[in-house]
Amino acid sequence: MTSFSKAIAACALMILLGIGMLSYRSTVRSQEDREGVMHTHLVLEKLQAVLIDVTQTESGQRGYILTGDEKYLKPYQAGRDQVHPNIEEARKLTADNPRQQDAIRGLKQLVDARLALLGGRIEIRRTTGLMAGAEAVRTSDSEESMEGIRERINEMRSTEERLLNIRLEAAIASSRKMKAVIVLGNALATLILLMAGVVIHRETGRRNLAEQGLNRAKERLERRTAELSETNIELESFAYSVAHDLRAPLRHIAGYSNVLTEDYGPQLDGEGRRHLEKLVNGAQKMGRLVDDLLSLSKIGRQELSLEAVPLDALLREVVEEVGRECSGREIEWRIGDLFNTDCDPGLMKQVFVNLLSNAVKYTARRKHAVIEVGQTIQNDKRVVFVRDNGVGFEMQYVDKLFGVFQRLHKARDFEGTGVGLAIVQRIIRKHGGRIWAEAEVDQGATFFFTLGSPENNTSQEIGLPVKDEVMHV
Amino acid sequence: MSNEVEILLVEDSPEDVELTIRALRRNKIANEIQVAEDGAEALDFLFCRGSHQNRTFSSPPKLVLLDLKLPKVDGLEVLAAIRADQRTKAIPVVILTSSKEQKDVIKGYSLGVNAFVQKPVDFEQFGDAIRQIGMFWMLINQAPPPGAFAESKAQGV
Repeated sequence: MTSFSKAIAACALMILLGIGMLSYRSTVRSQEDREGVMHTHLVLEKLQAVLIDVTQTESGQRGYILTGDEKYLKPYQAGRDQVHPNIEEARKLTADNPRQQDAIRGLKQLVDARLALLGGRIEIRRTTGLMAGAEAVRTSDSEESMEGIRERINEMRSTEERLLNIRLEAAIASSRKMKAVIVLGNALATLILLMAGVVIHRETGRRNLAEQGLNRAKERLERRTAELSETNIELESFAYSVAHDLRAPLRHIAGYSNVLTEDYGPQLDGEGRRHLEKLVNGAQKMGRLVDDLLSLSKIGRQELSLEAVPLDALLREVVEEVGRECSGREIEWRIGDLFNTDCDPGLMKQVFVNLLSNAVKYTARRKHAVIEVGQTIQNDKRVVFVRDNGVGFEMQYVDKLFGVFQRLHKARDFEGTGVGLAIVQRIIRKHGGRIWAEAEVDQGATFFFTLGSPENNTSQEIGLPVKDEVMHV
Repeated sequence: MSNEVEILLVEDSPEDVELTIRALRRNKIANEIQVAEDGAEALDFLFCRGSHQNRTFSSPPKLVLLDLKLPKVDGLEVLAAIRADQRTKAIPVVILTSSKEQKDVIKGYSLGVNAFVQKPVDFEQFGDAIRQIGMFWMLINQAPPPGAFAESKAQGV
């Protein structure tokens, strides 16, 4: 998933979470609103009860004054008993509202005053009779105080009702707002999720397409590699059979020249014998070329058989072998320490044989030849070098050094087929390494090589150089 | 039959035949040399059939010099036929060829060849190789007694 679609998904998630929180809060809020409404109803109920209590005492008192019958004192007494608890409850219910608290304190005073008045009238009726009682009712400003109580209660009720209305309106408004937020939020989240879905779908499509493209490219590459590898094998076996088939006529040329020399030599003059000798030499030289070409082609086709090889021991063996063929020469061998590495010991020996033989060959004119082998580090890689103090070569021709049948010296001066270094390069490349040389005319030459990670597959030894080399045939 | 054949030379190149016989003669190694120019002719000779039906299994050649690239039946097929038959399987066979390709060498030995020699280009070396082969197989090596395998039943070919 790209960072863009991740952002979209995160956004959608945040919005959904927000909606969840708002919904929860609105639920809590509406619960609170409901409780508030119920509370208001309770307050109204209590206030109504107070009014009823007061009215009950009032009518009870009247009945008693008019009739003197004690039974009217019962409702009076009940109202008297209930009114204070009811006021107290109303006070508790409105504890959060200072204005209503004040009103209740006022109401309580009014009620107490009224009850005291009623109690006084009842006492007069009981002690002095109907007339005095009626007189007391008539003369006192009794109705005004009752009216005050009613008004006070009505005021309180209307305050509570106003509160109730405000709460209801707030609850309605907030629930409306909540609905809008939830609907819009859900719509938005759905839209964003849809967008994310589209983006992800498109991206998956693109990725699938890219993967398909990649697979196709990989298949093409594999096919091409297989083709190249096949071509390479064909070229190698072509080179091999050419070289191989060349051997038979060569053998015949050499053989019959020899027969001629043996059987008719005496009959030829000096010039005739010299020409015959040239014929034999030519055939021999071509034989060597063909043999070298065969070994070069063989290396190309050969699989590496890798093992851990101590290069020191391998080198000592080669120095001994090469040195044995240098009798009569004064050669100073300076052999440094080398390392152990995974390589094909047979081929690696061939590398040292060819390089040391070259060093011996090109120092032939030195009275005191010095051949040095050792290791150095270049760009964090171990490099093996073979240095001599021989005739060297001109650096402008260094590119030709490793080409097949390429020679930088005249055959008259130094013999050779021009295949030795090509073989060395091929072996080094097969081992994943690199070879290069530095030289100065008459100051000697130094060959350097690295060994990388060797390949086990000859098909990797692909490329035009093989074709070029075959073309030289 | 006047003289018994000592060497069967299976070789399709007349030049190689001439040079090989010359090298053998010069070293006075073999007098009777039979040449077969292809594999089919070699098999006719060895199995006493066709133009060689008057021969008997009791007088096999002391040595077969066998080239590999041959018309009709190639050298390795000839070798396989020789080794598959009880009457011929003991005959010493030396492969003498231009090739030293590894798969041919391996195939030759797995079919039971006695030696595998690559013809050198240089005539001196070639002559020396022929001389050494002839000396060894004709003079030093003890050949199987004539007729020792002749009566056995054919198992192949």
